[in-house]
Amino acid sequence: MYEYFVKRTGQALFTAFVVVTLSFALVRLMPGNPADQLRGQLIRNNPSLSQQEINRRVANYINIDYSAPLHEQYLDYIAGILRGDLGQSISQNASVAEILGQALPWTVFAFSVAILLMFVVGIALGSIMAYWEGSRFDVGTTGIGIVLNSTPNYVTALLFLYVFGFTLGWFPTSGHISSQVVPIVDPLRPVATFQFVADAVYHASLLIAAVVITGFGGVALAMRGNSIQVLGEDYLRVARLRGLSDTRIALRYVARNAILPMYTGLLLAFGAVIGGSAILEQVFTYPGLGYYIVAAVEARDYPLMMGGFVLITLAVVIGAFIADLTYGLVDPRVSTGGDAS
Amino acid sequence: MSNTSSNLHERQSGSSTFDSQSSDEDIVLECRNLSVAFEMDRGTSRVLHDVDIDIRRGEIIGIVGESGSGKSMFASALLNAVVSPGRTDGQVTYHPRDGEPVDVLGLDKGPLRSLRWEDISMVFQGAMSSFNPTMDFREHFVETLDAHDYDIAAGIERAEELLSDLYLDPQRVLDSYPHELSGGMKQRALIALALVLEPEVLVMDEPTAALDLLMQRSIISLLSELRDKYDLTMVFITHDLPLVTKLADRIGVLYAFEFAEVGDTAEMVRDPKHPYTRALLNATPNLDAPLTEMRPISGAAPDPVDVPTGCPYHNRCPMATAECEDIKPPMDAVSETHEVACHHWPDVDDEIPLSTGVQK
Repeated sequence: MYEYFVKRTGQALFTAFVVVTLSFALVRLMPGNPADQLRGQLIRNNPSLSQQEINRRVANYINIDYSAPLHEQYLDYIAGILRGDLGQSISQNASVAEILGQALPWTVFAFSVAILLMFVVGIALGSIMAYWEGSRFDVGTTGIGIVLNSTPNYVTALLFLYVFGFTLGWFPTSGHISSQVVPIVDPLRPVATFQFVADAVYHASLLIAAVVITGFGGVALAMRGNSIQVLGEDYLRVARLRGLSDTRIALRYVARNAILPMYTGLLLAFGAVIGGSAILEQVFTYPGLGYYIVAAVEARDYPLMMGGFVLITLAVVIGAFIADLTYGLVDPRVSTGGDAS
Repeated sequence: MSNTSSNLHERQSGSSTFDSQSSDEDIVLECRNLSVAFEMDRGTSRVLHDVDIDIRRGEIIGIVGESGSGKSMFASALLNAVVSPGRTDGQVTYHPRDGEPVDVLGLDKGPLRSLRWEDISMVFQGAMSSFNPTMDFREHFVETLDAHDYDIAAGIERAEELLSDLYLDPQRVLDSYPHELSGGMKQRALIALALVLEPEVLVMDEPTAALDLLMQRSIISLLSELRDKYDLTMVFITHDLPLVTKLADRIGVLYAFEFAEVGDTAEMVRDPKHPYTRALLNATPNLDAPLTEMRPISGAAPDPVDVPTGCPYHNRCPMATAECEDIKPPMDAVSETHEVACHHWPDVDDEIPLSTGVQK
């Protein structure tokens, strides 16, 4: 177990390191060098600046001193990341770490709620479909699930925004909280806290609905398939003959064994959806991680973009890391490496 | 209790022709006109047809038949556990050691739930997959005891004793997960699980099918020991005739969803009267016999939707006559302990000689 933990941690760190290195290399390879572009911009706007001053500002912006040798620049970049210094945003007038640190919680909040809801709805539906296999409900839900699952979530998002946001006016069309609400989470002030949480949920609800509506079908179909497989297992028949209660069979036998294979999928979904948050957050003007990445792309704000990409990749790496480390705890058949003997 | 020990004595005195007469009185399971049918698009599939048989208390009865002869359906029907949409008709009466006879097929859900595993228990084909893969063995035992309101501490003690009777290390097995044991160990653990509620009858459906030869033999000898120690009645279902002759007191041969021949093991092995039983014995692979003497049975087993009229075996039988095609042979007594369903059984000795005898 200990050995595996060390090994797996090493792998995760290595993956993160490769990602950071790649984003460094991408910056160097990007056509229309951002440093040159910045330099040109600075010279055009303030022709009186000295070359040194320009170099200093450029280095300050993109966190890389271009006049230094490549390996030194690389080491500086790595050292910066290790200190949490992702450079200075060009378009937002703040440090990248500050912007992303402020945006990330909103993305994590909205998408965690969405993914959890998606899995809860999908698993519940999938189990009912399996129990009533072949019924009209099963066939109908399978059809609807496939159609919804094949719809891109931004299409649903645009539709929701148009219908419920603009036409009916039931939900806000942008932002993550109302301007008059104070963001506060304090157990000593339950009313204000509740107002804040409710307002946050209200603002995120269309985004959450778009993710859930287009995602639950896939979860339900997977759960349905897994459950039907378990329902046909010999051990289920033996369990029934042994006189176990229906509740115990449904929970301890069918649900447990059918949900297990989806555990890794759940954790990976967090990483994937945070990565895919860009378009949805843009559609709903929801100032989270994805929103700032799109804004950065539009403004050619390379440091902010890079910071966003690094963060997304880290989210996926961490998701997979947690899934791998904890899977042995939920499934006794998977010993967490090395301790099988 | 004295009744039991006299039974025990009888069993151990061997399976000669005469001593089982008295135990005719002590029947534990009585099947009358037992049928199982499945409705299908192309007709009704009768996978067990009007079977009459008495299972005596304390005996081991072997039920033999080829694939698709109704063996597993017979096993399930004894516990009223035929999977839906199968329909079980006829009568299965369970006679407890003390108390009123129980009509197994007429029981409501609740009483049926307690009859199964408490009185009549079952070991399935495929022990490999009979356990929940995400639960250790202890929990399997505990949940079974709990579901039947048995005392858990005493039950686990009994489970430990059963496991050591089966030559397993109780502590190690109870704390293991199913994937951590070998096939033979799982099979034995399943037998222990089937016996933890102290049932009277243990029905075993192909319990040795997935095991290697050595493991088969050792399970067979373990079963004899268990029967003697726990006063069990065993119904042992298999396609392996030579194997069952080493264990069973009586053997029933199923062909086309009904019994072709039932008799004491010794008689069934030395002097079977049904042409099918003879053919089965002649088809038994034997390492000592030359390959040329092995005779497979020609033809194929009948379709359950369309069983031939008359004797179901007539189109594969070398002795078949016009009578066999039209008239279904009734069960005819060869001796006190031996019955056969064949019109021509007195002639079978001349027509179909036994080539390779199965050694008892």
